[in-house]
Order: sequence, then structure tokens, then C-alpha cells
Amino acid sequence: MASASVVALPALQACGGGGASPTPAPQPTGSTQLQLDNMNASRFLAQAAWGGNQAQIDTVRTTGTRAWLQSEMTRPQSQSMKDWLIAKGYNDATVSSNVNGEGGWVNAMWAKLFAGGDAVRQRAVLAWSEIFVVSALGLPISWRNFALANHWENLEKHAFGNFRNLLEAVTLSSAMGTYLNMKGNQKTDPVTGRAPDENYAREVMQLFTIGLYQLNADGSLKLDAAGKPIETYDNNDIQGLARVFTGWNTAPGQDPQGVLATAAYRHGLPMTLNANLHSPEEKRFPGVTIAAGTDGTTSLKIALDTLFNHPNTAPFVCRQLIQRLVTSNPSAAYVGRVASVFANNGQGVRGDLQAVWLAMLLDSEATQTPTAASAGKLREPVVRLVQWGRTFQATSSDGLWSLGHTEADTSLGQMPLLAPSVFNFFRPGYVPPNTALSSQKLVAPELQIATEPTVTGYINYMAGTVNNARNVRADYANELALASTPAALVASLSLLLAAGAVSDANQALIVQAIASMPDGTDAARSNRVYAAVVLVMASADYLIQR
Amino acid sequence: MQLNRRQFSLGGAGLLTSLGLMAEASAQSASDYKALVCIFLYGANDHYNTLIPYDVDTHAQYFNIRKGTAVSGTAYEGIALARSWLADTTLSTPLSGGRQMAVNPAMPEIKTLFESGRAAWLLNVGSLVAPTTRTQYDNKSVPLPPKLFSHNDQQAYWQSSAQTEGAQTGWGGRAADLMLSGNGKANLTCVSVNGNALFLSGQTALAGQLSTSGATTVNALRSNSLFGSSSAAAALRTLMTHTPPTLLGAEYTQINRRALDAYDTLVGAIGTSASAAMNGWFATSASNTLSAQLKVVARLIEARAVLGMRRQVFLVGMGGFDLHDNLPSQHPGLLQKLSQASKEFDDAMQGLGMSNQVTSFTASDFGRTLASNGDGSDHGWGSHHLVMGGAVKGKAFYGTAPEIGLTHSQQVGSGRLLPSTSIEQLGAELARWMGVSTSDMPLVLPNSRNFDLYKLGLMTSA
Repeated sequence: MASASVVALPALQACGGGGASPTPAPQPTGSTQLQLDNMNASRFLAQAAWGGNQAQIDTVRTTGTRAWLQSEMTRPQSQSMKDWLIAKGYNDATVSSNVNGEGGWVNAMWAKLFAGGDAVRQRAVLAWSEIFVVSALGLPISWRNFALANHWENLEKHAFGNFRNLLEAVTLSSAMGTYLNMKGNQKTDPVTGRAPDENYAREVMQLFTIGLYQLNADGSLKLDAAGKPIETYDNNDIQGLARVFTGWNTAPGQDPQGVLATAAYRHGLPMTLNANLHSPEEKRFPGVTIAAGTDGTTSLKIALDTLFNHPNTAPFVCRQLIQRLVTSNPSAAYVGRVASVFANNGQGVRGDLQAVWLAMLLDSEATQTPTAASAGKLREPVVRLVQWGRTFQATSSDGLWSLGHTEADTSLGQMPLLAPSVFNFFRPGYVPPNTALSSQKLVAPELQIATEPTVTGYINYMAGTVNNARNVRADYANELALASTPAALVASLSLLLAAGAVSDANQALIVQAIASMPDGTDAARSNRVYAAVVLVMASADYLIQR
Repeated sequence: MQLNRRQFSLGGAGLLTSLGLMAEASAQSASDYKALVCIFLYGANDHYNTLIPYDVDTHAQYFNIRKGTAVSGTAYEGIALARSWLADTTLSTPLSGGRQMAVNPAMPEIKTLFESGRAAWLLNVGSLVAPTTRTQYDNKSVPLPPKLFSHNDQQAYWQSSAQTEGAQTGWGGRAADLMLSGNGKANLTCVSVNGNALFLSGQTALAGQLSTSGATTVNALRSNSLFGSSSAAAALRTLMTHTPPTLLGAEYTQINRRALDAYDTLVGAIGTSASAAMNGWFATSASNTLSAQLKVVARLIEARAVLGMRRQVFLVGMGGFDLHDNLPSQHPGLLQKLSQASKEFDDAMQGLGMSNQVTSFTASDFGRTLASNGDGSDHGWGSHHLVMGGAVKGKAFYGTAPEIGLTHSQQVGSGRLLPSTSIEQLGAELARWMGVSTSDMPLVLPNSRNFDLYKLGLMTSA
């Protein structure tokens, strides 16, 4: 690490390393200011949010990580995606693309990611959107913009609330109800043989809560006497749980404001139950049998409570959150510490996500820069793009943030809310075949979308973006002031973008290239900055977040 | 050739058998070339509405289970296709017992390929560890594939043969391991035009990746100018290709190097755009991802001599098949794309004179239930798949036709088919056609020893 001085962080280590205590001793006020150096503050910002500029780094250093994170998690939510869509006119029913097309959600999402005032919450929402996956590819409905907006808003609202509420909000949302087919799902018809749809029952267990195999509290696999993993459920359990998710459909109602078309308005409401279409049979799945004749609302509560309280849920969810924000291969002990806080926040509350976030990001395994070659995670392409925009305080000239699509493999190969399936763009257990990673039994989820087309597509996309050639434009005032002193420019970019991780050798390489470029005019200085940003963001020292 | 050294270091006696076969083949004419193309239908294709019972009795059984309210503007009642809509796409080859089948009305090109002897259907094929009866399934007296009915795991099982998510190698890649040495560009032995694909990863073989644009690279490197600076472009190349100390970074730079290395080779071989003939064959490629992907495969096959290739394995794919809902409105469009792209690819292979040397086959996560969810179907197990090309003994059905119903012994509930043919039985015939020796087959398909192999007789020559 280039000239990174690791400052001792006694208070933080006490927070994270102890494990058992979810409510660490309060930090002594006044002593936090010097706990973090610039690089550690930048590193923390990259985990908790999208990195940061010098002012944000200074704020974290002054405030201290815990207090800063607590403050950010309680910061009011930014303008809702629904209100943004309305403000930009995407509720206009005379425009067919609003009703039946893409109209609006793409721009609304970029506006949120680049400019939402609640950066930490938006980063959490992106992570949740990759666990509770809804994709516009699977929403063949009118006014899908407002269904996606409601999904985003649910994730925002509950990102730092309680997991049980998050699970219920997502389950009953119009977007998820459409995507995984719970909406309109009906009880068995003994005459035709029609059976309840099993899709939500299957994926809510496999992907959102308990997973396929029984886990220990630290996320490691439980094994049977023969040393084999133990499956958490079988297809009979799926059919039992599928009965729970019957009878729900689009809520009735009209927009009291008269602003939204009927279908658009109803996408913002949780689904409601038609008791006549709810399965009256017994519903049996792991851990519970719901008696025949139990009504739909009660059955849903029992089912979601059961999944929420399943011993797998804490390690299953926490491990994925750690992978999204901190590192691809967390130790079992780290997963166990965070999962224990999920299980009990110290005050007897299960599923407290603020406590989970604090435990995850203040743990010593997150706060200490690792030395092992195997450590870290590949930054997601979308996170790199948004980090660029937020670091340089990008604005949209017309306020529409019309970056368009980025999922093509000749672009970034990724686009939020547009995964190919509910299995997201990449799987938490993805192992790149035939690599040093696979021989060490390490996973690398984000490498699943790193292909020959996408790695070159990324460089091309960034080279066509950092020069402010798109609708989203950076403010490089600070960088332009350093353009004539390449060493200072590159050191600054390394700090802001890579938390100082660009090696001395690679910094020297970039400095030499920049120094060879013309200077003396605004255009020349701009080119120096653009090239330096691309070069830093192309380096493996940046791409691998450690 | 570093790859070959690595390959030999892995070698066992069996490995050398296939290599010996390759050496023998290399003495043959330069036109010796074979390619296998896997067309993966992600999300689990509804096979019951792809290949449909047409004789009066079994159609009625199918229709009564899937029927419902007529869906206006479509051929569907509930999720069933009325018999009258199938008259134009019936297949002339009968099944035993007087049974007859039709393909979905959205697939007239598949009917044409079938009737011209260039396509065959393999019935009720799927993941198995060993031959399994319903009684054995119920009693769990035979090992079953883990995580049945789970998309990602069964995709992995199809592609790896015998492993679920986290598997490291696929059977296409393992077959390619045995053939790398015969190729001028070992890194193009396995090519995916559909992202990362387990199917193409071998012990040695790596899956090369192409986009539907063909060869792509970093524009700044091609023009040797990053914001006007050749020095900055040179630095960019160094940063992208220099191996860093981190394992993740080392793997990422490895992908960068593969991309940059492949570009010059590819541009030299397939140019920067498709020929007029290719554009003519793949008429739907602008709006059909499968057509666009197969077009890239065809361009590579066309360039086989320039690249010195003799054995290649390809993967293309499309998603959207997980139709728990909206089956009547969405399934025909997907099948139409598959059907048109298959015909276009066949036309291209005939046009290139490569028809007998290229075999394609469909695969998918699993089949689906016969029972309806209302306007879709649920996760199943066995399915029907296409095998296509001039070397296929077409206009025929292979495997065992399952009964139609919700209670018979070839299903495990709701009409989820218990496969009567395994992936290994399909894979072994395709791999043997590619040149894998029977003694090497366990290297390619480890569970193949559990099955009676080479009895389908899909291919005209081994």
C-alpha cells in the first residue's frame, strides 16, 4: 500500500473484535478525531457508502465511524422514486412509454444512486436489491415504473429497520408479487387439478431467508453423520408453503390526489387478500404446521415469522450483506459475530438492521486493512460508476440522469433492477473455475460478470463517461488544480477512489504517463484528469476493494 | 503452448487414448472439423407446450389438465393449446402405440428441420445419478441429484453433469480438454457468447467469451490514444495486464489479458463485421438474441481454417423461460426465437458446407409441471430436447415417450417427469461423435458408468 500509515484504532477494534457484545462501550468523545487517517476514512466510506470526497473523509474523521454511521442511518430518506417520477412527468398516461414501456424508472434509479442525499441508505438499498431481486425483465405489466419505484421505496424504508418488516413489505409488494407470481395465486382447484404456484414459496426460502442447507450460527454448513450437508426443505415443504401465498392480489383503490392512473397507484399498495381464493388445507413446511382452515392473514404471519426466526436466516442473510459491502470471503467468526447481532441486538430484538450494519462495518475484519492475498472483493461495475459520480459530485445537466442502460456485455454488464433472473447478476457462491481462487476454495461473486466483453466494455464505458460526455457530469475543480502536478493528482485520486491502495509502482506509472501529456490549457488539464481517473479505475489496486 | 504442458501433466492413460485419436485424425484431411453447440434455455422451458401430444387421446389428456378460459388473440385455452391450432405443426413420425406429436405453432421452422431429417427430439431427458424408477424415487433407494427443482443448481447439474452450484467444470469443457492440442488457438476451443458458463470450463480448457458484437477490445488501446496520449494508452495496457499481488486482482487481470490477446486473433479471423452472406442467413439477428449469438458462432466456424481449429464447443443461451405466469402470452415468442435461430443456423451451416460437422442441442434447467398454476406452470424435472444438424439421424424421436397425466409412474407429482434418459446418455453420444473415446468417457461424464450408453443412436457416425 502506497504510504498508507495504519493508525491504531483502539476503540474500533474493541467494537468489532469482541464478538459477543453487540453494544460496545461508547467511544469517549473528543478522542475520535485522530483515530482515522485519510485512507482509513476513505476505506470506511467505500464500505458504508460509495467512497467520498475530501470533505466527507474529514467529516468521518471528525465524527468517528460509529457516530457517523448512526447519523447516516437515521438521516431522512431522500425524495421517493414515486415522487421523482411524478415530478418529472412520468405519470402522464398519454405517453405510451410511461404506461407500457421503460419510461422513467431507469432515470429515477440513476437519480437515486448518484444524487440521493442518503448515500449510506442508497448503498444499502442496492445491496438489498441484489438479495430481494426484482427485475424489470420479469414485469410484464403496465406502469411497471411505479411497481419498481415502490420496490425501491420498500427497500429504503426498511433497509435500516427490522428484517421481519422488510420481508413482509417485499412479500406483499406489487413488484415482487408480479415478479415471483404470488399476485393472483390461487388455492388448489380439485376439478381442474390446478395447483398453487410454487415460485414465491421456493425463492423466499432459497434466496431470501434460509437457503438450501442447514447452517451453523456462523454460516458454516451443518453436516450429518455421513459428513453431508443437510437440506433445509424438500418439495413437499414447497407445496405446503405455496398454499400460504394464495389469495393475494392487487389492492383496490384510486389515487386520492388524482395524480396517478389506477394501475400505477395500486403498484404502491401492498397486495390484499381475497379469502375465497386462499387455500383452506393444512400448510406444512419446515418448523411449522399451520392447521387447516387458518385464514390467509394469519397463515402469512405464521409463515413469515417462521422464516424470520429460522436459525439459518441470520447467518444466511448476514453473510451475503458482508459480501455485498465488505469482503467476498468473510471468516466464519465474522459472520457469526454479525449474525449474533441479527439474532439479538443486545436488547432482545431480532432482525434490527441498524445494529447489523454497525456490527458489520465496525467489526475488526472490516476496519483493518487485510494483508492476505486472498482478501477483499471485486467492486461491482455499477458501484464503480456511482462511486465516480459521487466522488466528483456529478450533476445531471437537465436533472433527468438519463444514462440509460448499462447491462449489455459491451457496457458495464450490470444494471440495477435488471438482473437476468431472481438469482441476481452473480451468485454469492460463484467460484471462477480453474483459478488460484478455486484451488483455495474461495468465492468471488462479482467475477461471475467479469468476462472478456465486460472487462473491456467497462474501460470503454468509463472512458466515455469521465470526460463528461454523458448527461451525468463530474465537477473536477479540485483535480484540475492538481493537473500540473501529476504526483499530487494521482495521490489524491488514489486516496479518494481506492482508499490509497494504488501501489507506489502503479502510481509512478500513472504519474509518468500524465506528466507526458500536454499542460497549459484548460482542455489539456482536463485530459490529464480524465486519463488519470481512467487509469486509477483500471488498476487492479482499485478494482479489488480490500 | 503452455496449455498443452498443463494438459499432459494431468494426463492419465485414458487421456492419451483421445489424444491418440486426435493425432490420428490430424493425419486426415484438413477439413476434419467438428463443433458442438449447446443452446441453453434459462429458466426451464415448458416442454409440455413445446412438443405437444397431438393424437386425439393423449391430446385430450393434456388438454383436460391444462385447459381453462380461452386467452383472446392466442391459441391457448388456460395454458393448453387446442388441437385445431396444432394441425400445421404436426410431426409425421409416429410414436409407438399410434401416438403423434406436434410442435408449438410458433415453431414451424423446427417442424421443417425435423421433417427434412435435420432435427430429432430426445424425450424425457434430465438429471439422474443412476437409472431411477418411481418406487426408487419414493423410497429414496437410489441416489438422486441434489436440489432438484432449484434453477441455479439444476442448470449447474445439466452443464457440469453431476454437480450443483459451485461446480468447477462442465462436460463440454472436459471434452474440450481432450481436444485442445488439435487446435491452433487453444483459447478458442470453448467459446461462450452468453456470459460465464460452467458447461465450457474444463480442467484445462477455459471458456472464451465473445459478445454478439464479435471481437471487442478497449478502444483506447486499439487507437493507441487515451485522451490523446499514447503514453497514457501504454500505461492503461500495463495496468490492465500486470498481475497484482491480490488473488482477485490476478484473476481480473487474467481476464483482461484474455480479452486483449483474443482481439487481434479474432479480428484477423472474423473481421470487425459480419459478411453479407452471414447477415442474410441470420435475418432476425437484430431482434433475436439467439440468432445474434449463433451468428457469432457461425462466423467463428467459418474462420476455422484461418484459426487452425479442429474441435470447438460453443454455448449460446436465452432467458425468460420461467413462466409461472403469462405462459400463453410469452412462451410462443421465446419459442419463435429459438425456432427461427435454429433454422438460420442450419442454413448457415449448409451454406458453409459444414452441416455434417456441426451439431447443436438444446438444454434447460428442467422441465415443468403438467398441472397448471392458472396461467403458467411450475418447476419440474425431465424435459424434451432438440438435437440438430446434418450428422443427426433426424426425423425421429429418441428415448421413451412418457404418458400424459398426473398420476402415472413416470412422473413424481403434478406431472413432473421422472427422466427416463440421463444427461450422461445424451452427452456420451455427442462427446463420442466429437471424438472422445469410450474409455475416456468417464473423464468427461463421471456418472456415465451408471448408465447404459450409446443405445440412443442419435448420430449418423461415432
